[in-house]
Amino acid sequence: MARKRQRGMTRRQFAKLAGAGALAAGGPAFLFPDRARAAGKTLKILQWSHFVPAWDTWFNGTYIKEWGQKNDTEVIVDNINLVDLPARAASEASAKKGHDLFMFLSPPASYEPQVIDMSNVYAEVEKKHGKKIDLAHKSTFNPKTKKYFAFSDAYTPDPGNWHKDWWTEAGYPNGPDTYDDLLKGAKKIRDASGHPCGVGLAQELDTSMAMRAILWSFGGAEQDEAGNVTLNSKQTIEALKYVKDLYQQTETPEVFTWTPPSNNQAMLAGRVSYVQNAISVTRQSEREHLPIDAKIMISPALKGPVRRLAAEHVMNCYVIWEFAENKDGAQKFLIDWIDHFRDGFLAGQFYNFPCFPSTVPDLQKLIASDDRANPKDKYKVLGNVLEWATNVGYPGYATAGISEAFSTWVLPTMFAKVARGDESPEDAAKAAEAEYKRIFARWK
Amino acid sequence: MAVSDRRRPGAAAPKWMLGTAMFAPSVLYIILLIGVPFVLAVLYAFSDARIGSTGFHFVGFENFRSILQSPGFRKALRNSIVFTVSAQAIVIVCSNILAIALEKPFRGRGFIRFLILLPWVAPVSLGTIGWKWILDSIYSVITWVLVALHVYKPYNAPMWLGEPHLAMASVILVHCWRLIPFSTVIMLAGRSAISKEIPEAAAIDGAGFWRTAFQINLPMMTPILSVAVLFGAIFTFTDMTVVYILTAGGPFDSTQTLPSLAFATGIAGSDLAAGAAISLFLVPVLVLAAYFMLRLAHRAEVV
Repeated sequence: MARKRQRGMTRRQFAKLAGAGALAAGGPAFLFPDRARAAGKTLKILQWSHFVPAWDTWFNGTYIKEWGQKNDTEVIVDNINLVDLPARAASEASAKKGHDLFMFLSPPASYEPQVIDMSNVYAEVEKKHGKKIDLAHKSTFNPKTKKYFAFSDAYTPDPGNWHKDWWTEAGYPNGPDTYDDLLKGAKKIRDASGHPCGVGLAQELDTSMAMRAILWSFGGAEQDEAGNVTLNSKQTIEALKYVKDLYQQTETPEVFTWTPPSNNQAMLAGRVSYVQNAISVTRQSEREHLPIDAKIMISPALKGPVRRLAAEHVMNCYVIWEFAENKDGAQKFLIDWIDHFRDGFLAGQFYNFPCFPSTVPDLQKLIASDDRANPKDKYKVLGNVLEWATNVGYPGYATAGISEAFSTWVLPTMFAKVARGDESPEDAAKAAEAEYKRIFARWK
Repeated sequence: MAVSDRRRPGAAAPKWMLGTAMFAPSVLYIILLIGVPFVLAVLYAFSDARIGSTGFHFVGFENFRSILQSPGFRKALRNSIVFTVSAQAIVIVCSNILAIALEKPFRGRGFIRFLILLPWVAPVSLGTIGWKWILDSIYSVITWVLVALHVYKPYNAPMWLGEPHLAMASVILVHCWRLIPFSTVIMLAGRSAISKEIPEAAAIDGAGFWRTAFQINLPMMTPILSVAVLFGAIFTFTDMTVVYILTAGGPFDSTQTLPSLAFATGIAGSDLAAGAAISLFLVPVLVLAAYFMLRLAHRAEVV
């Protein structure tokens, strides 16, 4: 018997037809994903959520769109909290999958085997914009392999932030200039009004930078130029004694509890007289129109018995993974980005200073008169930042060993134990040197 | 006429197929999310693996030798044991008290039980962030109250997370806050399983509250008590969230534990091999603890 012809479709027929249609529409991409990607270029970038939100607004909303249109590329930027960067980088490196450009906030020397050499990018940029600063070189170059494992476009100064009224009353109308001023002035303020000093002693970024500044300014260092551990020295012990005095005479145990935003909060809450931090403190007070804004002033790194030196606060370090899908696009993006660095400097409200100084030729003029600041010349003191800013690992390079010691807070722990009186300066320096040697040995 | 072997559509599947299908997800889960990472951790612990390295070389016990030299590791090991033992002691006592209080019916018992369960239901990370704010150095509500009551002056109030002993006590307190509900539920189940006739007979024989508690209820609850202690100890010993969020191991490593140190060394510090070696130190301790607790529970059941 002839089967009766049905009108319409059975469910099975419909499913077959729908499947065929989907394959026809998305088939090439499904069958040949690599070719599909090549046809429509994509560049994936991961970086932190900037401490100055205006920078993210401009970069994500304006700059990458313009660059994407010019280069026929869809640029995707993912912003994450700075404390999540190490775990995210580790997962991308382990999975060998992730973003084309990954921005670290400290030198990622340990990732060298998994990232491409940035020598070409630096060379291309230097043709147009002149030499990079030494800080960028020391933070991204491995002298043993002669490879640039990262590309640094910017760094952030790490000045002092001080409360004008209290320091004026204490006899320092221009704020502290030396570590001796800091100790004496902060003690006077604490004795008079109870407001403690806010130099951190916790296991976090800002403390790490502040302790390095003190160590170097007293003549100590974690390593020498050749990368030999030199921590256990007379100078380090002097620095430790100083921090003990500073803590016991001017601070409270709250400095042991801090996270990176804590000193910002303490300064803006009108609680502490001095913190060492980037200009995120004052930018926040300006943005939120806080009454304390006019009272917070900026000062260069303090001078110690030996020198005036501080670390960069953060160091932008872009890497391109070996497994990145758009290496060429990522390199071109970085080269083009430096051409537009001045726009970024303005959008970031001077938070990111250039590693290629010629990209912002009017930097001194810009920071000397800023309409947002109160007074307008608040940031003028940052004009000579390169005279007192250096890299983590000074006087040597930012090696993988230095990076691990930095990330596991060996220095802040050493200083904190002495400050509390739990260890003598001599014992603490000896123990920290042993820990540095152990870590360095693991990276040889 | 021969009967066809073919099953009709819709006929019930053989029992073994159903059993396998229902069992397979948990086996897969254990293999993929616990088995594979565990094997990887063992491999890493005996290798020179770094976060960025592409090769893999066997280095024997070098990683273990290296971390044993680190004072930070020894401190973390000690802290892990102190936190676990202290928290478990407090949890068992408190959850027993709560179980006794909540055993008999009273008005609002359901609501009280719901409130007690809340900390266990809430994600541990959110709960710990809440505690971090409560104990914060600048915005602590406890400090604010103490200052408002003139118990302390504004700049001399205790820093809950800034003094080593207070920070350790804070970590233990948060662990207890998180684990007491879980333990209480187990204790309640254990108490409800005890036949009412036994304590009643003991009461007729003149046994008081304490004698009934220690010589009747406690021995009868040993199996379930062991389960509560075992789970609680494992949760505390392997937990990273509370320390990571509350103190990040500070002040100056005084609250660092093995899981948080493994993370700091292996992920933040990029030394994958050392991180894996640190985390493997947990394994023998946990295996031994599990063995003895389960043996204790089994013996109590047999008796």
